[in-house]
Amino acid sequence: MDYINSLLGILLSAVLTENFILVKFYGICPFMGVSKKIDTALGMGMAVTFVMALASAATWAVNAFLLVPFGLTYMQTVAFILVIASIVQVVEMFLKKSVPALYQALGIFLPLITTNCAVLGVALVNVQKGYDFLQSVVNGAAGGLGFTLAIVLFASLRQRVDKADVPKCFQGFPITLIAAGLLALAFMGFSGLKVF
Amino acid sequence: MSQKNSALYILRLALTLLAITAAVAAALAGVNAITAPRIAQANALKTQQAIEAVLPGGGEPLDVFPDETGLVSRVYASDTGYAVEVTPTGFDNTITMMVGVDKSGQVLGIDIISHTETAGLGAVSAAKTTAGEVFRGQFAGCSGEVSVAKDGGSIDAITGATITSRAICSGVNAALACVAGLN
Amino acid sequence: MNFKKQFEEGLLTKNPVTVQLLGMCSVLAITTSLFNGLGMGLSVTIILICSNVLISALRKVIPSQIRIAAYIVIIAGFVTIVDLLLKAYLPDLSESLGVFIPLIVVNCIILGRAEGFASKNGVLASAVDGLCQGIGYTVALVIMCVIRELLGSGTFGGGLLNGGEGIRLLPAQFPAMMMVMPVGGFLTLGFVIAGSQWLMARLDRKNRKNRKGGR
Repeated sequence: MDYINSLLGILLSAVLTENFILVKFYGICPFMGVSKKIDTALGMGMAVTFVMALASAATWAVNAFLLVPFGLTYMQTVAFILVIASIVQVVEMFLKKSVPALYQALGIFLPLITTNCAVLGVALVNVQKGYDFLQSVVNGAAGGLGFTLAIVLFASLRQRVDKADVPKCFQGFPITLIAAGLLALAFMGFSGLKVF
Repeated sequence: MSQKNSALYILRLALTLLAITAAVAAALAGVNAITAPRIAQANALKTQQAIEAVLPGGGEPLDVFPDETGLVSRVYASDTGYAVEVTPTGFDNTITMMVGVDKSGQVLGIDIISHTETAGLGAVSAAKTTAGEVFRGQFAGCSGEVSVAKDGGSIDAITGATITSRAICSGVNAALACVAGLN
Repeated sequence: MNFKKQFEEGLLTKNPVTVQLLGMCSVLAITTSLFNGLGMGLSVTIILICSNVLISALRKVIPSQIRIAAYIVIIAGFVTIVDLLLKAYLPDLSESLGVFIPLIVVNCIILGRAEGFASKNGVLASAVDGLCQGIGYTVALVIMCVIRELLGSGTFGGGLLNGGEGIRLLPAQFPAMMMVMPVGGFLTLGFVIAGSQWLMARLDRKNRKNRKGGR
């Protein structure tokens, strides 16, 4: 029971109290770039969640069975990023064959998931916190869900902002960042939430 | 030319990537060999300094100690008391701290070994500044259970860092519970 | 190769943070004290120069199909070297920057420059490019740090000056704590980019006026 509680706790914190984008600042680049339409944002979020869960599982295994037993923990960064790049490559090929519509819609952002700080970030955090296999996967998936929540919220914000009258030098990214800041302020309200 | 898709070409690509990775791995192994002893030394020194700070005279590590909270990682014992290393979760990540407890169950002092709390907020708890020392000094002489004023206790939390302060309290409580179990 | 032009580009017109909008994760996350900002800026600049130089030197040898993977491995190598060196010789900085040091691997600036410049230019030009972009990044970081630290903690030079406490410029009750929290990061960067866009628009208007006046 305690274990399930800890898993639910990880889920809740990764989505709300320690939201990967708005609190911990992982995954900012795609957050800024992709989120203009809600359905694209949702598709991107789902893809990232999938990659994050898979990457958490794979990197945990590589760390536990390869790096630690052979004393190669200094190779963590190199090994993890290679694993992530391979996973993204495989997901890309899979989507191209099976769901070409999504593949087209995501465009350049699909290979860019490799450089998404959130994916490598969650892999490193899993190791840092000493999570076991299931905890790592839950953390990865939950982080992805938090990421999805943030970019979908943000896409709807941006749709309104784009129609507003913005001062010249604030047009484009500055006003977007300020909107994101207000969203981050709102999420601060979740801090200290500890149901599990 | 069909050569681009042939298995041999793909093998060549894979081998080139493998060669680059191997070269990088070799370079890293070299740097690691040079830095690892120094890193280990710095870590050991940090722990030693933390033990000295909370339990003057140091202590010997214990192999077995009671721990219901899961936060206690190491215990050092001496004639005057214990130095307990605890790892509560703060705002950002784990806070590693050393709590000195005397044989009667009173806190001698606390020392923060490592943390990743926000600079200017939670990080004040570990800072060598007046504010930091005032915060840490509050724990000396406490026993039983400590908590921040918001939770009905006597500890003044750091402004804007309630979560960090709460975490440190839970670390101290874990240490006190452990020592109570040892006595 | 025009050093002055590259420097100006790195600093203003093609600044990796304010114009190209790369490397934002680190800019928003660690800019809470001057110590962090300078440390991160320096680390990224060193890694940028090293990886640019090596990738440029190997650009004719790495096959095109695997070039991104190869660049990532090389960059990850340099990042790990810097990570280990920091852990050994500057443990305070290593702890302060935390997971964002290994995350330099996915800092889009480095991969972006490798793919966009180092893979197409000579070793010296790539080294200079790395230096200029790195300086632009560091300047943006420092500006962010100074603003956030001043408005959020009321000090200047946190972690470096005055024995680590920083010089107190504002009385303790004054600062808005939210500036050192995620909100503050977003807001400050928004204003900094707005400021940079305003500056570039003004320079652009001045250049156009000069060109017209010269006829």
